[in-house]
Amino acid sequence: MKSYILTRIGLSIPMILIILTIVFFVLRVLPGNPVLAMLGPKAPPSVVKAMEHQMGLDKPILVQYVDYLKNIAKGDFGHSTVTGMPVLKELMQKFPATLELTIFSMVVAVFIGIFYGTIAAYKLGSPIDISARIYSIFVYSFPVFWFGLMLQLIFGVWLHWLPVSGESSPFMTPDPIHTGIYILDAIINGQWDVLKDSLEHLILPSLTLGIVISSIFVRMVRANVVLTLSQQFVVAARARGVKEKTVLFKHALKNALPPILTIMGLQFALLLGGAVLTEVTFSWPGIGSYLVNRIHSRDFAAIQGTIVFFAIFVAIISILVDVINAWINPRVRY
Amino acid sequence: MVENSNQMLSSRLSSFIREMLGDSSGIMALAGLTILIIFILMALFAPIIAPYSPVQPSGNPLSPPSWHHIMGTDNMGYDVFSRFIYGSRMALTIASVATLIAAGIGIPLGLVVGYFGGAVDRVITMIMDSVYTFPGLILAIAIAAVLGPGIINISLSIAVVYIPTYYRVIRSQVASVKNELYVESAYSIGAKTSTIIFKYILPNVLPSIIVVLSMNIADAIMTEAGLSFLGLGITPPTPDWGYDLANGQQFLISNDWWMAFFPGVAIILIVLGFSMFAEGLNEYFNPNIGEKR
Repeated sequence: MKSYILTRIGLSIPMILIILTIVFFVLRVLPGNPVLAMLGPKAPPSVVKAMEHQMGLDKPILVQYVDYLKNIAKGDFGHSTVTGMPVLKELMQKFPATLELTIFSMVVAVFIGIFYGTIAAYKLGSPIDISARIYSIFVYSFPVFWFGLMLQLIFGVWLHWLPVSGESSPFMTPDPIHTGIYILDAIINGQWDVLKDSLEHLILPSLTLGIVISSIFVRMVRANVVLTLSQQFVVAARARGVKEKTVLFKHALKNALPPILTIMGLQFALLLGGAVLTEVTFSWPGIGSYLVNRIHSRDFAAIQGTIVFFAIFVAIISILVDVINAWINPRVRY
Repeated sequence: MVENSNQMLSSRLSSFIREMLGDSSGIMALAGLTILIIFILMALFAPIIAPYSPVQPSGNPLSPPSWHHIMGTDNMGYDVFSRFIYGSRMALTIASVATLIAAGIGIPLGLVVGYFGGAVDRVITMIMDSVYTFPGLILAIAIAAVLGPGIINISLSIAVVYIPTYYRVIRSQVASVKNELYVESAYSIGAKTSTIIFKYILPNVLPSIIVVLSMNIADAIMTEAGLSFLGLGITPPTPDWGYDLANGQQFLISNDWWMAFFPGVAIILIVLGFSMFAEGLNEYFNPNIGEKR
């Protein structure tokens, strides 16, 4: 198991390198000078020169590339041209909010996906099954930001049940902050009113993203459980008089889980893309909002740093998924 | 002879349509196709269908839906329904240009690399896999941020993200088809490599290309809408659903819901059209993937 984990980590390094390389060349080589973009087209040439020198843009491109990789390896993502702060430090401040949103959305998506998908597979061809197929194809075509706005309209503007933006109300942040994840911090501190406030803010964004992603999960769980339900061991279990509920959840679903887990891991990238849109829709102060803000202020160091951060995050998640998979399914290890 | 073949063609066509209709996947494909045709007609004849100009005020700002403006007006007094109609042009243009670029690079690359295999295959596949596993929207955001607005720039940003989708599907299909007997016999009678790839292998991977193409346009429309929602799309006031949605967001609080609601409906319908078409065709071409009983 240890050697499997090490191999898996080793395999992901070239993948990260490739993304880093693409990001570097996209931001440097494509038409559009970052300095001109930052200073505006009317900036005097001397100022442009000075700025290029300061950012190291006057060096040969390959030297810049090696410097860039070295700096990232050291954990130096450069300094924001807007705030002057180290980009990595800013990202780490925003990260807990994104993590909170993605985890809760994933919980929503997995919950709907497993239950709806399994029941649809069990009642193959029934109205429930047909509703599940319509759900998965219909909800998949919801733009996540539109769905978010509609939930805001219904639960915020019409019903006044839930707040429509931000991560917490003013003066309702947990104190002291331990992890940066408000829900967790509020529980650690025992501040129940803060916990209630944070949960209220979290419900709409995580339902928005979770429901949209669940469309893929419902369909995938259904297809996999349909396959396992037709296997011999299910027939054998039924012949032994095992209860239907046990057959469904203990025998069929459990054996369908490894491929489901793999695909869920792959969908994580989609979840992160959706998270950027959801954060902007709900003014959620995570990395997605940060990225979009910095694009509008033309902060190229921050844009580059954010993409690098996402690349590493995606790689870590895919390693985790594979390791968990190998742990529940020993046949995967090699 | 000619009559005979004509008859055969028409009887084949009618049996094809009958077969499609007798089957849930066929109905789905045809329903999707109908939606798509409606949207394409809407884009082509927008000036005839739209009651007002999409970029000129035609009523009081922020009027709710009424007989004069069936989807209301926006904060500038533009007719939301006219922008709904014209918006299909931007969505379809960018999605098709992006898809053409992505397919134009991904398909030939997948065909050639998949046929020859070897070290080049491993390197290119690794690069493609890395891009594939990275969140597509985020990559498109970064490229669009550098390139700036404009139809070609946005299409390019989206295309880069989807090249691996084509490459992966085509490469794996070619890898499995190239060991078939007919490829081997073509090779043994001395057919040129280009003939083998384009005349014998390509037609056999065509069904999957059509399915991927159709699914991909749906994704491209979604990505385009996302980019313009974030302010990275086309320069206003050009009608664009994603932009109109973002613009409508600030008026949601005052219950002026129609500005954000209708552009979203347009996106849902067109994406639904493409994915139903793709889904139906996919089940029709590969009926044995457990989706169908």
